Amino acid sequence: MSHGQAANEPAIKIVHLKKSYGRTMVLNDVSFAVMAGEFVAVLGSSGAGKTTLFRCLTRLIEPDSGEVYVRGRALHSARGGDLRMARRDLGLIFQQFNLVRRQSALANVLAGRLGFVSTLNVLLRRFSTADRQLALAALDRVGLLEHAGQRADRLSGGQQQRVAIARVLAQESHCVLADEPVASLDPNSAASVLTTLRSIAHERSIAVICNLHQVDLATTFADRIIGLRNGEVVADLPAAGFEAVAQAGIYDPITLTAPDVGQSDVMINEKRRSY
Amino acid sequence: MKEANPEGRTGRIYPDPRPSVGSSHRIARGSLLLLLVGFYAISLRLAEVNPQKLWVGLPKMAGWAVKAWPPSTRQLDVLILRAAETVAMAAVGTTLATILALLVCVFAARNLTPSLLLYYPARWFLNILRGIDSFVFALLFVAAVGLGPFAGVLGIALHTWGTMAKLFAEQMETVELGPLESMQMTGANRLKVISYAVLPDVLPNLLSMTLFWWEFNVRASTVLGVVGAGGIGQELKNSMDLLDFPRLLTVILIILMMVTVIDQLSAWVRRRLL
Repeated sequence: MSHGQAANEPAIKIVHLKKSYGRTMVLNDVSFAVMAGEFVAVLGSSGAGKTTLFRCLTRLIEPDSGEVYVRGRALHSARGGDLRMARRDLGLIFQQFNLVRRQSALANVLAGRLGFVSTLNVLLRRFSTADRQLALAALDRVGLLEHAGQRADRLSGGQQQRVAIARVLAQESHCVLADEPVASLDPNSAASVLTTLRSIAHERSIAVICNLHQVDLATTFADRIIGLRNGEVVADLPAAGFEAVAQAGIYDPITLTAPDVGQSDVMINEKRRSY
Repeated sequence: MKEANPEGRTGRIYPDPRPSVGSSHRIARGSLLLLLVGFYAISLRLAEVNPQKLWVGLPKMAGWAVKAWPPSTRQLDVLILRAAETVAMAAVGTTLATILALLVCVFAARNLTPSLLLYYPARWFLNILRGIDSFVFALLFVAAVGLGPFAGVLGIALHTWGTMAKLFAEQMETVELGPLESMQMTGANRLKVISYAVLPDVLPNLLSMTLFWWEFNVRASTVLGVVGAGGIGQELKNSMDLLDFPRLLTVILIILMMVTVIDQLSAWVRRRLL
């Protein structure tokens, strides 16, 4: 872990990111930055572009244009080995957990070390004692140490998602992206997953960006909320402030649209709604 | 066609998408039937199907059956050794094919291939191997490396390579994309992703397929001996050439026992795998 970066440099910086499918603009000039230790919720209804944003950030799909810097390292232009190196610093958590089903929880957490271990050692499943200890500590951190040997598909949804969190902890990423991490979970598991994400952000100075579609979860757990509508950032506020604004009726809490015509600043982007 | 109350219970007539059977349909159906009849008429002719000949030939076979009893026990040790040779040929050939198939199937799986420029050649290559039967390969190898089971091993290996690699690739194409993506996001390269996220999921199926092909190849390699590629098939052909029916019966009984035992064994292992 190098801490050679400038103190005020953001952990992840997104600049003018654009993506369209055919004539449909899915991301329209998205820019924001997240500092280390910040837990940011990206809030928006289905189709607002949240998942596309994450897939473009991680280059699982290619954005049309724009720049992404992870701790100052340009991710948007990285290729091959450079891209893999950059991705190590960008842990991703999915709505559907995406664990390797037939492998143990521990093996799934050890997967976080794949970017650090030689190919031969991966083929032979040889991990160093240090790596195994790191993985076990990560499982302990999410409260699943006693399930280390259990097969991933035998765990409950909430437990599987916490294994995924342990994997990004073992990966020692400085940025974690969580794409609707609680959308498939019951309220209790959802709260425990979001609590874990928030506390790892604060404890380990990890920048966490979390896609959500429920305003109450965002305002309860996040430090800061970015509102996304039709691929554009329509709000970027501290969580407390967002709550006040939402209560004042400027945003409809569900769709982030203004309920009444003529409501000043949030209406600027209204004309782009037609697609 | 008019019914008393065509409007049903809701009082509304819904357009029914059922196609009407027009005269053009009837003509198409009739010509299809004619085509089929013609196809079979020509096929029967080309295949020289002649029940008369079977009628004459059957008593001859019955005569052999009578002459074959009791089965000969002479040189039983040699016959059993030959049967073991057949099992070994199938085992070595199939194992060789499995290793080669594992190496190539990644290129022939749409979701894992590094490039479509490799995907299509890989598919063509495998289709060629699959299109040529192990019997034909064995015939070629007998000419190249001489008589004996090694030619059979090579024949089995090449044909099975093509077949298994295609099946393996199809199996790998069914793997979920999600775990692949989460492994990719750890900064793992393609080989690491395949080894960590794909193999554990498909391994039981791959092993099961490998066992099935070993079993299949045991049956297939009984005939490889006919072209001189070793194994029990060679004894089958020798006995037939010498019209030594008791020995022929023994060979057939040994083949039956061997195939049954291996079928059962392989089925039992596969049940435990899946």
